[in-house]
This record gives sequence, C-alpha cells and structure tokens, in this order.
Amino acid sequence: MNPASTVSPVTREGGALPTNARSVVITIVGSGGDGVALLGDLLLGMAAEQGIYGMMVQSYGPQIRGGESAVMLRLSEREVQFEGDEADLLVCFRIADLRRFQGAVRLHPKSSVIVESTDPTELPEWLGTTEQPSHRYPFATFENGVEVAGPPKNMKALALITRMLGWDPEFARTTLRKRFGHKPNALSTNIVAFNAELDAEGLASLAHLRARGTALHVETGNEAIARGAILAGLGFFAGYPITPSSEVMETVIEELPALGGRVVQAEDEIAALGMVLGASFGGVPAMTATSGPGLSLMTEMLGLSSMAELPAVIVDCQRAGPATGMPSRTEQSDLFHAVFGGHGDFPRAVLGVYDVVHAREVMSKAFYLSETYQLPVLVLSDAYIAQRRQIRDVPISQTGSVLRRRWTLADGPARFSLDGSHGVNAFRVPGTPGGTYPAAGIEHTPEGLPTSDTSMHHQMNAKRFRKLNAIAAETVGWFRVLGRDDAPHGVVAWGSQYGILREWVEKHPEWRVFLPEIIHPFPLAGFRAWSAGLESAAVIELSYQGQFHRYLSGLTDLSKFRSLGRSGGVPLTSSELARMLEVKS
Amino acid sequence: MTTLKAKDYRSGIEPVWCTGCGDFGVLKGLTQALSDLEIVPERLAVISGIGCSSRLPGYTKSYAFNSIHGRALPIATGLKLARPDITTIVVGGDGDGFSIGLGHLPHAIRRNPDLTYAVLDNGIYGLTKGQASPTTEVDFKQERGLAGPDERPLNPVLLVLSSGCGYVARTHAGNLPHLRETLREAIRYSGFAFVHVLAGCVTYQTPSYAEQIYQRCDLLPADYDPTDLIRAMEVARGPRFQLGVIFRRDPGVAPRMGEMEGQAEGGVWPPVTQPLGQEPPSDVEFPGG
Repeated sequence: MNPASTVSPVTREGGALPTNARSVVITIVGSGGDGVALLGDLLLGMAAEQGIYGMMVQSYGPQIRGGESAVMLRLSEREVQFEGDEADLLVCFRIADLRRFQGAVRLHPKSSVIVESTDPTELPEWLGTTEQPSHRYPFATFENGVEVAGPPKNMKALALITRMLGWDPEFARTTLRKRFGHKPNALSTNIVAFNAELDAEGLASLAHLRARGTALHVETGNEAIARGAILAGLGFFAGYPITPSSEVMETVIEELPALGGRVVQAEDEIAALGMVLGASFGGVPAMTATSGPGLSLMTEMLGLSSMAELPAVIVDCQRAGPATGMPSRTEQSDLFHAVFGGHGDFPRAVLGVYDVVHAREVMSKAFYLSETYQLPVLVLSDAYIAQRRQIRDVPISQTGSVLRRRWTLADGPARFSLDGSHGVNAFRVPGTPGGTYPAAGIEHTPEGLPTSDTSMHHQMNAKRFRKLNAIAAETVGWFRVLGRDDAPHGVVAWGSQYGILREWVEKHPEWRVFLPEIIHPFPLAGFRAWSAGLESAAVIELSYQGQFHRYLSGLTDLSKFRSLGRSGGVPLTSSELARMLEVKS
Repeated sequence: MTTLKAKDYRSGIEPVWCTGCGDFGVLKGLTQALSDLEIVPERLAVISGIGCSSRLPGYTKSYAFNSIHGRALPIATGLKLARPDITTIVVGGDGDGFSIGLGHLPHAIRRNPDLTYAVLDNGIYGLTKGQASPTTEVDFKQERGLAGPDERPLNPVLLVLSSGCGYVARTHAGNLPHLRETLREAIRYSGFAFVHVLAGCVTYQTPSYAEQIYQRCDLLPADYDPTDLIRAMEVARGPRFQLGVIFRRDPGVAPRMGEMEGQAEGGVWPPVTQPLGQEPPSDVEFPGG
C-alpha cells in the first residue's frame, strides 16, 4: 500500500458545496457570571442534536477566568469552519462589555439587536448600524436601584433566541432537564426563567434552518487532536498545562488509560518531551501537546529526538507571542520555530491543522510519519481551532491496523547504519534479545558509539536528511486547493485560514487558494502547478513578520506574491480579507 | 541459562576516563551488582545525561541512552512507565543531577517509578575542565579561584530525604564491595532509589581528593535503623559521610507510579511476546489508509 496515493488525495473543494446553504450568526456578550458561555453551549448542543451544523468561538478579556466574555455562534445548514463576521443577532447584557470585543463583533443592515433595557449606554459606532430597531429587554433584576442576582439572564435569552430560530420550547426544556437533571435547584430556577412571559413584540425572526434530523457531533479542536492521536495508536502522553492546549491533555487523561495507555502531567515541558522520548525509546508511540512557550522549552529535546532517531509527535496550539504574549488569543507565529527552531542541522516534519475535522486525520498522518521515519513531527494547531466547538458529522470509527515501528532481531543492520532505506533502519525495541545498542545525543557511528570524526558527522547528517527527501516524495499531495483552477488571483495560506478562505472562493470565483497540509517539507511541486497562470497573488497569515511568506520566499520565487500578514489576536474577518486583497465586498 | 558474569555487562568499548578516575570503580561495581541480580542485558536500560560519568551507559551492554545535559530522569521515567518490564538505571554526575537537572529530581521522587538513580559526585565539572559544581567545597573554590566562592555546596542526601525519597544510600567509588552491595540493593528496591556515590576526579580535584573524602567516611553502625527518617536527616547533616543505607521506607507504603491498580501491564507496546520481524516502511499501515 502506498500511503501517498491512498491517504492524501488532493482535496479539491469549492464548487461542489451547497452554496445556497443558509446560516445564522449569533453573538452574545456579557460579564462573568452572566452565563454567556453556557448559553452558547446550549444553543450549539441543541443545533447538533437536531442535525444543524455550526461552530462557536469564545472570547475573553486578558484574564482567562472572569471579566468580559463573548461567544460567537454560527449555525448553518452545512459544515462551517468560520464563525462569520457580521452578527445576524447580537445579544448584549451590558453594553460597556462590548468594548473589549471591538473588531470581533459587527452588525449588518438587517441585524437584530437585543440589549438590557435598563442600560442607558448607546451602542458604539464601530459596531456598525442596522436598520432594525434595538429590542430592549429586562434581563437584569434590581432591588433599590442595585442589580442583584435574579432569574438567570442567559435562560431569558435562551427563550428569546430559540423562539427567533423557530425551535420548539419543549425541546429547549428537555435539553435543560438533561443538562441540569442532577442539580434540581438549578434546573427549576432555569426552567422558571426560561418560561417567564416573553415580550417579543417586534422581534424579527432568524432564518429557520433545515435540520438533518439525525444528531451530529460536537467537538473542540483539542478534543479532536487527542482522539485522533488515540486512534493512531498513541500509547504514552506527557504534557504540562498551558493555554490554549491544556484540553488535549485533559482529554487524553479521560480516554487513554482505559485503553491501556499512560499519561503523565510532567513538571515542565522539558520533562514532558523527555518522557515522551523515553517512552519512544521503549518502543511506544508517544506525544506531547503544548503552546509556544512550551515549544521553546522543548527545543533542545526536539534535536535529541531527531539525533537519536526517536519518533515523537509534538502538537503546538499556537497563541499570540512572544514570551507570554496573549495566552488565549490565536496567531500563526510559531512557524519559524517549528520549521527552524533548534541548534544544529536536523530533520523534522511540520504539519498544519485546517479545522476540527482535519485535526483527527492529521494526527494519524503525524504518527505515520514519525513512526516510519523515526523523527519528530510537529503539528501546528492554534487557539482558534483548539478552543472552538465545531459541529461535524459523527466520526466513523477508523478501521485498519495501527502503525507499527519497524523492529528487528539482533543480526540486523547497525541501529544507525548509513545504508538504511531512506536513512531509516529497523528500530531496536528494549526486550529484544541481542538487540542492545547505545542511543545518544552525541554524534555517533552507525553502531551508536560517540565520534568527533568530521566525515562521519557529515555522512550521518546526510543519512538523517535522506528521511526528509523520502517524506517529501511521499507527501507531494498533502495540500488542499480551493476554487477554480483558472481563477486569475491566488491566495496561499495555511492552517486555520482554511475556514474563511473556503467561503471566500465561493463568493469570489476569481480567486483560487492553496493550503499546504505538510508545511515542512513543503509540497513545492503542487504549489508551482497550482500557481501557474496567476495574475496576482498574496500570502495571508496571522504573523506580524509574515513568517509564512518569508519561509516560502526561501523555497521558490514569490515575486508575484504580496505579503498580507498581520499580528494575531482575533482571526481574520471577511471584510478585512476583502480590504487586504483590495476586493469590494 | 548460563550465569552472567560482571564482564558480560560490558559493551566492549574502552572507557575514555582519566587513569585513576572514580568512575571506573562505579562501572565495575554496577556490572557486578547486575550479575548478582542476573538481569539479562536485553531487559536492562542505562540512561544518562551529559558529563564524564554520563558516558557510563555506553560502556554497559544494555539499551543505553546518553541523552542531553540534566534530562536523564524524565527520559528514564518515560521509559519505565511505558515499559515496566525493563530494569532502568540512571547514572550521572553532580552537575548533571544537582545543577541543570535538579528540577526533575523531587518530581521523580514523588512519582516514585521503579528507577535506580546513582549520582557519581566528584564535586567538580570534569568534562568542561574544572568549573565548580553545586557540591564543590567552599575552601576549594576560594583556593582555586572558582566561581561562587561564597556559595555553600548543597547536601544531596538531605535534599532527597526531604523530597520523600524511599531509598537513600551512600557509598564510595573506592570501596568496591560496598559499592557493589549498595547498588545491588538499590536496584532490588521496588521504587525510586537514590545512591550518592562519592567519587574522585584525579584531574580537576587534588590528586588525593578521593582519599581525603574516604577519610571522612564511616560505615553506618550495625544497629542503625534506616526506617527512622529524622535519624536519617541527622545523619545527612553530620560533618562526616556515613556510608550505607541511610533511609529505607517499606516499598509497600508509597504507590509506585505506573503500578496502580488496573494499570500494571497497560500501555506496553508492542507486547514483548509478539514475534519479531522486519517490515519495510512501505508496508506500514495506519488508520485511514
């Protein structure tokens, strides 16, 4: 079986999708305690149960707990990887809280707005204007002019929103009973608030979406990463808590031990990757997950993984950097670190994640490359994918055998033989009689013995880098293209830009898009073929320096490509993309 | 099975240590201890970081790993948790274990995997030619003009005792029978075992350093009770080096990570009973293929 031909056909998308699919964008803004996240979660869960697609992202102030909170929820008749940028409905419990989300929340001329009736504040101008009058609703409860805890605001809003969506109130009540069945007091409080008499006079209705009737699956990017790894044969996980990747470890803790695997919360990220390499030295497929600061700490171990030829999968859920940066905010600025980070010359592969659905698939590819070629494989996710909740088709349980590391009897070739096929030799798993060998981070002979012989060092480098050639040959088709092949304008981007660009090419047929799945080694032949005949082109990314543009510039002639990156923080919006690409939206 | 002798645990590679280095004694004592325990080499892993003493794994017949500076403990922990069937020994020096790698030590201790950690403490950085280590004595630093003349050395035995280590012993590289017995019992202990091995550096310490240190050593008295933690800490704080098992907790008292109920055999991949064979990479199958 040749994985290149069977696993990674070039995915062509854009034309065949039901572009008449309708969607609804709902934005809810409030303070800590308003239950904004719970409200979004309930709506998303109810959508999935009916067979409506969608996704939800959350946004917070600078602290990860407490403070202002917003959810952006998009429900759709087809799968979406982009939350939309102009709200069809904005629900705001406190107008002052909107300030934090400038740029992330916008209205269009037909938007409905529901705000707290006692809030005297005007809606800010940057929000945009709607032809619809704002609907004022008394969410808050007051005693002697002071706001006190009353019937939950989020349940009152749930009643309004479900009515606007045309959803049966009894379905909402059933959902609440399931969610709060184990907390009778909370349940009755919530039901009372939900049932409170609604004054929905003048409230426009939202699109009544077609439901498939069969339940769909809700998953976050981090859950999908963890589950994809487990399906790919993960046997050992070590990690250290860090926003926005922690839920990878939390999911692995919940799901891996029951399957016989081991999980350790290490004392730091250096130890986490060290433990992964120890387990891998023992023959067990192993991984860690982290974010930028953790990847920085792991960098020396990354070189050891490549030098000692120990498979390891490292997931980096990128956040805005450098240093502590903005921990809960997304960015695509760890690219250089993933591709080039570390001292010395060593091969590694770098994969990018497109969305929650792809997160499962990419993990099987990461383990395949890592175990087959005995080197570190980095998987770059980001906060935007990691923390989103996306509704997808129910995953089909994967069949087929789990990947195996090659291993050998004692009379096989030397562990680091220069003659190995594609630079790879059979792995010696501890426990194999006669298979003992020294592994080392120090430069070594084919037998693993320390050497400072210049010629041997060069030959070993050449041997190790042969793996990269083999990977490049095997992964020529590991990319996605969107739009028409003959579109005159092109965008090249990677990772989570997939979601917005998929919809962009549907609305703008004069654009085509190239998104590598494997970033290093880069699928250059596919890229060159894709870019043939372009009149103009741009690289789009969330990186102030334009890391992706610079990286590509070192690989091929990019003179036709403008570099249109910006710092991360919030994902790109369609109107922003139109501005960047100088297209009238 | 023929009886394995100490030399059967040697890889055949000649050590590059200086003539008279204390590390030779440790290599000899370790291989003797392994032969006493009849551990077959293919079930043995010896893991180290970087330093003179960290070269030791390459001189043993084992699944050896000379990794990076200060990180032997996490690597050994990962190996032991993934492969509980492999006897795993960690060796290293005072700089590797007590300076760059110190942050890992209390965590390895509290996880309590079944590892033996032997620190070959010569009170100096030998590989990088004679800088002060965390255990270099103040007088020596002042005399030689080394960094940190006013920084006191740390006390490794007190440190591991206060971290909750279940097995703490000290020995001297020049006393081969004692070294052999100490390492053997440490390997036999089920849980994390720490062995402080006093060793000399003939090149960057004074030539008589090993002998001077040995003059400051006493064997623990025959009636010493190693289960008394307070007494063990007093021993650790004493002006002289007490040799022997300073503290030993019943291994049944603290759980060993990876051996909790229901997890004892989980996660071992591939199962060691599986027939061995070679597969070309193109035959590798993976999910979704």
